[in-house]
Amino acid sequence: METMDTDISNYRNLLRHYIEIRDEQSLYGAEQLSKAFIKDNIPPDEIINLHIQAMSELYPDIPEYFQYSMSFLLEVMIAYGMAHQEYRSLREEQSELKSEIAVAANMQDTLLTTTKPEIDGLDIGVVSVPAHQMSGDYYHFLMGGDDSLGIAIADVIGKGIPAALAMSMIKYSMDSLPEATMSPKTILKNLNRVVERNVDSSMFITMFYAQFFPYENKLWYASAGHEPGFHYNAEAKTFNEIKAKGLVLGVTPDTDYREYERTIHQGDMVILLTDGVTECRQGDRFIETEEVLEIIEKYADYPAQEMVNKVYKHFERMQDFQLRDDFTLIVLRKEV
Amino acid sequence: MNLNIDVAEGNEKSVVKLSGEIDAYTAPELKDNVLPLTKKEGHQTEINMENVHYMDSTGLGIFISALKSTNENNSTMRLVDLQDRVLRLFQITGLDELITIDTAIRGGNE
Amino acid sequence: MDLKSCVDINQEWDIVKARQLGRAKARGIGFGTVDQARLATAVSELARNLYLYADRGKICFEITDELDRKGLCVISLDVGPGIENISRVMEDGYSTSGGLGAGLPGVKRLVDQFDIHSEEEQGTEIRAIKWLR
Repeated sequence: METMDTDISNYRNLLRHYIEIRDEQSLYGAEQLSKAFIKDNIPPDEIINLHIQAMSELYPDIPEYFQYSMSFLLEVMIAYGMAHQEYRSLREEQSELKSEIAVAANMQDTLLTTTKPEIDGLDIGVVSVPAHQMSGDYYHFLMGGDDSLGIAIADVIGKGIPAALAMSMIKYSMDSLPEATMSPKTILKNLNRVVERNVDSSMFITMFYAQFFPYENKLWYASAGHEPGFHYNAEAKTFNEIKAKGLVLGVTPDTDYREYERTIHQGDMVILLTDGVTECRQGDRFIETEEVLEIIEKYADYPAQEMVNKVYKHFERMQDFQLRDDFTLIVLRKEV
Repeated sequence: MNLNIDVAEGNEKSVVKLSGEIDAYTAPELKDNVLPLTKKEGHQTEINMENVHYMDSTGLGIFISALKSTNENNSTMRLVDLQDRVLRLFQITGLDELITIDTAIRGGNE
Repeated sequence: MDLKSCVDINQEWDIVKARQLGRAKARGIGFGTVDQARLATAVSELARNLYLYADRGKICFEITDELDRKGLCVISLDVGPGIENISRVMEDGYSTSGGLGAGLPGVKRLVDQFDIHSEEEQGTEIRAIKWLR
């Protein structure tokens, strides 16, 4: 349907038609006109004035008291019209702000980008979804000169822009560490110092860092207060929590981290996650760890990437498609 | 969900009773109530968390701030009666080794 | 371009007097009903600000007659503390929550030309012009 003219003659004709016939079609016209007013940004006081003019053209002998009443109504609507204009300009500002944040989120994606490595005999799946526009979760893959694969998964306390800024800092500190110091405990020790010096006292970051040596079937890892991951034992078909004790990054300046070691057999899986996964809620109820594992097991036969996608879809749906927290899940499966 | 904060302030020792949820929305109020207590030189602050059923990482941030403040002001802070879910958060993050947490009188949630 | 007249704003009742004078001027120049109402509202907002925040303030009117156009200029003058941060005051939503109505951004929307001069500890002069359409 064409948009209507919002001029006086159109309004007057429609009004006259309605007064004479009082049919639904004129009222439909009024609805179209109403939308046209909004589109043309015509304030309510102006519409009332249009009405006053149309009425005095149609009925020159309109009673005075009626004219006065309309002038009164006009006066009442002035402030309303001002509020309407303010609302419009605030809405424009809001959409500007939104697109600025979208640009920042894009920048974050570019800055923190990491490629999922292709390693023979290792099937890797990753899903990382922010609850809002910018993520406070972070993961990173690092290929070492000694054929080892480094995997970092981290979560900044808090969400949104401050968390995203802190994440960029972590990424750059990691990039600047010399490769010789790439053992999990050294990386965490170094990052802890950076975080402690640079962020507010109530802010902290949790991180799990693992180093996998494909030829030795060994996983070395250390945790800075991060949500424990799981080791799926293919032979026994059981999940074991990958426990690792260690203080979150940024609390004390000199923290030492313990390094642990695990043997990964053929068919085994290493599952790393953030608390967005374990803190899923269904209504008021929290999802127990066992449920998370059940779902992972349910899709365990799929290739790793498909598997994490399916697990994510499951929890997204369970939470009515409204994530409360950033959600990151990484699965490594040793194929041979 | 709200957080109820009940402060019984004494000269040497104060007891703070919390009930409800500690998250991004309730954490600022908790901070405003607890931090001033830890800033008093030599003061003892006991925080009863028997009725805190949920706490997210924002809550941990508040306790880290409070901990740093006790170290600067020679005061102490002790958390008592934590629910398992909340206690687990302190354990995972390694904060249970820095913050005094009284597990001896923890409520029957085992 | 003379014809200048003022209303001192000391009490709430003076706001009504300023509105009345403003509307009469607007009608005299030939403004239509809607513009009269808008000018009266602009006067109201300015006068109310004076009443609430300035010690001695007045609202003046000037008929602005240029070669090709004619308009009414509403001038708000005070010797109050001055406005420290004008751009802040002109932000939407800054003053509305305090029950001030639409505040200065609202006044700006009601007229065609709007200008503020403010000196700390000396006072503020606001000029708002609406041209005859």
